[in-house]
Order: sequence, then C-alpha cells, then structure tokens
Amino acid sequence: MAKDKNEAKQSHRPIWSGSITIGLVNVPVKLYTMVRDHAFSFRLLHKEDGQPLKYERVCIKDDKVVDWKDTVKGYEIRKNEFIVFKKEELDAIRAESDERIRLDKFVSLLSIDPVYFDKSYILVPDRSEEAYSLMMTVIQRLGKAGMGKVTMRAKEYPVVVYEYKGALILTTLLYANEVMNPADLEELSLLKKPGKNEIELAEKIIKDLSGEFDITEYRDGYRERMEKLIETKLKGEIVVAEIPKKEEVKELMVALQETIKRLRK
Amino acid sequence: MMDELTKVSFTNLEKVLYPKLELKKSRVIEYYIRIAPWMLGFLKNRVIVMNRYPDGVNKDGFYEKDAPVGTPSWVETFNRYSATAQRQVNYIVCNNLDTLIWMANLAALEINITLSTIDSYDTPDLVLFDIDPEPPCSFDDVINIALSLKEKLDELNFRSFVKTSGKKGLHVVLPIMKSYNFKQTREFVHQFGKFLARESDLVVSEFRNSRDPGTVFIDYLQNTRGKTMIAPYSLRAQPDAPVSTPLEWKELKKGLRPEDFNIFTVLKRKNDPWEGLLESKQALEME
Repeated sequence: MAKDKNEAKQSHRPIWSGSITIGLVNVPVKLYTMVRDHAFSFRLLHKEDGQPLKYERVCIKDDKVVDWKDTVKGYEIRKNEFIVFKKEELDAIRAESDERIRLDKFVSLLSIDPVYFDKSYILVPDRSEEAYSLMMTVIQRLGKAGMGKVTMRAKEYPVVVYEYKGALILTTLLYANEVMNPADLEELSLLKKPGKNEIELAEKIIKDLSGEFDITEYRDGYRERMEKLIETKLKGEIVVAEIPKKEEVKELMVALQETIKRLRK
Repeated sequence: MMDELTKVSFTNLEKVLYPKLELKKSRVIEYYIRIAPWMLGFLKNRVIVMNRYPDGVNKDGFYEKDAPVGTPSWVETFNRYSATAQRQVNYIVCNNLDTLIWMANLAALEINITLSTIDSYDTPDLVLFDIDPEPPCSFDDVINIALSLKEKLDELNFRSFVKTSGKKGLHVVLPIMKSYNFKQTREFVHQFGKFLARESDLVVSEFRNSRDPGTVFIDYLQNTRGKTMIAPYSLRAQPDAPVSTPLEWKELKKGLRPEDFNIFTVLKRKNDPWEGLLESKQALEME
C-alpha cells in the first residue's frame, strides 16, 4: 500500500498542555491529536482560467462586499429576525480554560455507551513520567476510565481518560442532549418479538460469522481510487498552476522593465 | 516573469494607502520603481529609517529603524549603536532597486536617510539647512529665506541644492568632503541661521524659539550623527501624496506650492536638478 501522504505531513506537535487533576493529585500532560482528517479537499477554481476563487461576504441588501471589521454576530430567532451580539458580550460568557483535565469519578470502561464518544487525543507525560505510568497502569488493571471535564478553545467538554496500547487516551464525549434517544422514533415502538425458532436460526448464522475485531480489514476504497487518480493526473496531464497576474502586477512589470533599462544606461 | 525582474513578491497591492486620492499600494510601488533612477544614488550606502503606513496615511504609521523580522537575506544591513535608541540597531541600507521595491511593498511611504554614509558614519558628506516655518508663515516666506541663504552661500562660493520637504518647508543641502564631524557641520549651519536671523525678523536661529508663531527656524540640529532627513524623491504621508522634490534654484518663485510636487507630477519632470550633487564635494572652510 502506498505511503499515505497526509500521514507523512502529520505534525507531531502537542495541541494543548495542562494537567490531569484527580482531587489533589496532578499529572502534567501534553495532548496530541489522535484522529487524522483523511478527507480530500478540493479548491474551487474558475473554469475559464483555472484560478482559485476567493470567498467574500456580500450584503444581501445591496450586493456590496462587507469588510470583516464591519460585521457583527447575529442569532436568528425567527426567519430573518436577529438579535445582535457584541464581541464583548460573547467573550464574557466563554468558558475560561484553566488547563486542567478534571477527573471526578471512575467508571467501568466497557459501561460507556460508544454513541457518546466524539474525538480522541493521546496524552503524553509532561515531565511526569512516574505519575503518568502509575495512573495508566492502575486504571488499566481495574478496567476503569476516569470521567470528568476539560475546557479547550473556550468550550467545555465531558471527557473520559483510559488506557489504550500503552498510553492514556482522552476522548471527548457528546452531551446527553446532543445524542438522540431512539425511543423518540415511532417506528421502533412498533417492533414485534421474534419467535423462538427464528432466534435460534439467526444465532447460528451469527456464530458462524464471528471473529476478532480488526479495523485494518477495512479499506477506504474511495480514497484509494482518488489517490490513484491524482497520481495519473500528476504523471499525464500537467495541471497548470499559473501565478495570478492581475492588472496591477502587469503594470508594475512594465514599470520595472523600463526602470531596469534606464538603470543599465 | 516576475521572478526575472525583481526578487520582491508583492503583497496587498490593492490596499489603499492614500484614501483621499484612492491611491493603492500598487501605485506607490510603481512610483518608487519609476523614480528609482533618480533616487537610488542618494540612498546608496546610507542608513535608512522607514516610516511605514500599512493602513494608509489616515491611520498612524510607525518608524522602523531596525531591519524588520522577515527581512530577506539580500537586503544589506548596517549594525551600529544608536544613541537615541540606546542599543545596537541593525539598520537597512538600500543599495539596489529590489531593496527600494521591498521597502515600498512594506508601505514605507517615507524613506529617510542619514547625512553621512556608512563608510564614514561620523563624518557627514551632506550639510542640511532645514528651513522650517511655523504658521502663519507662508511658503513664500520660506522661499524668500531660502533665496537669501543661497545668496549668502553663493557669495562664499558654496554650491547649494534645494528641495521641498514635501510638507511646509524647504531643505537646502551642501555636499561636502568627508573631513568634518557633525559638530562642525552643525555649527556651520547654526552660524548661517544667526546671520539670517539678523537680516530678517521672520528667521529664528535658536531651537528655543523654533515654535514661535509666524517664524521660520533654520534647523541646524539635524546635522547630528544618526539623525535623518527625508530622502530626495521620497513620498510624504500627507493626504495629497506630496514628494520631497529636488528643484532648480530658478524654480523657487513666489506662488510656488509644495503640494504641486507630488506622486503624479514628479514623474513628469524632465531632469533631476540634483544630478551631480554627490560629486560636488566642497571644503567647508570659509575664505
């Protein structure tokens, strides 16, 4: 399999540093992103000349471009009706980051409903190897995960911290109100109980197909086809990446040519 | 195409630097490119202080003595202790077109130069008479005083050159041999100021009177190590984009307006009245 280009580019720099805090105990740690974004992103170009397009904020009333400094944030309460917020008002309610992962409870790792898992990060010791190793070993032996919260980028998240492959992992969780309760779907309330024979037959099929969990058995087919396509394009049709020559730059080039000629005399 | 002509990569060309005239940065850069053949000689081997106006002349600009972070390696610099800053300063030296364009791209509208070159930093090769009026003095008053100064200098066989400051005043410059220190050049200018002050009620020769309303100060204090004057052909950060413009003495006539010499008109001038200035090295001894 071809070496993943994004993988090579992946920066190994911590995105956050702080401490895991359990009561009076502190374990200083650094946080690394665990999940790589593998999505292909395309830039939108002008079909005619292949130049990148830029986005502008255009006022829907007069179609004029609006500068960033002339914008405010509005919350839409009804269609086209807004309440307007000043930056100070929004800043005042932002969560303050205190660089702590506060754990207040330990639960069985397997008891956490996977639907709440959001993003995972790798924690590494920040000159706290002994404390880190102790905490990791103990929660691994007990099969526990620490539950608590952390504030990152002005947002507060519920988190769990647990052992995985010799590291402490922090996974942010979704809030209860962010996850839909299946009971709210009417279709599910109409389910019938299956009969005994049917259950036995279905169980047999499943047992026959049972195996170990191995995520590497799955490939991202779209991604592989996309990579192949890019490689072909790179070899064959050369994508012309022209430096944009605006009118202004052209005029400067004319001036430059004339001046250079005069200076040579 | 760009790579062949200049090492500078242009940025924010569309930024309006002179809002009254709706002049974009591209026009400022073009001005400096086109004026370069006349200007570069006066910048050569001199310490440069930039007055940068990245947000245009209606917003505050800032002085930049040090080569800023991100200065390309091909820009020459000169490391020297600055008495005013009380530390070592890594000054910019503009010895080629690319450096001038680079400065223009930094929105350095005003380019200031020292009166000495870096090879003889303590012995100036230029003497500056900065004729600086205090309102309600008119530009005609300034012209009259500059003309009497020239008359006096002529009598003593000194060849002098004049330029607009781009603001309200005139600069009279005397190219000299690099044999005198700043104390001597300063004293030289001060003596002329005292002489003119005796001749005219308008002229003041002493710094303490320099802000008296309705007077014209012959500022001799610029003749100091490390101090700078606005470079000939530099733009000024004024609404009408005036230029500190070298003039022929015969152009100095009643009714002349300094703002007539600006980013548009200066490029149409036929020749450089300061041509040969740097070669006219004179001794300061009065006969």
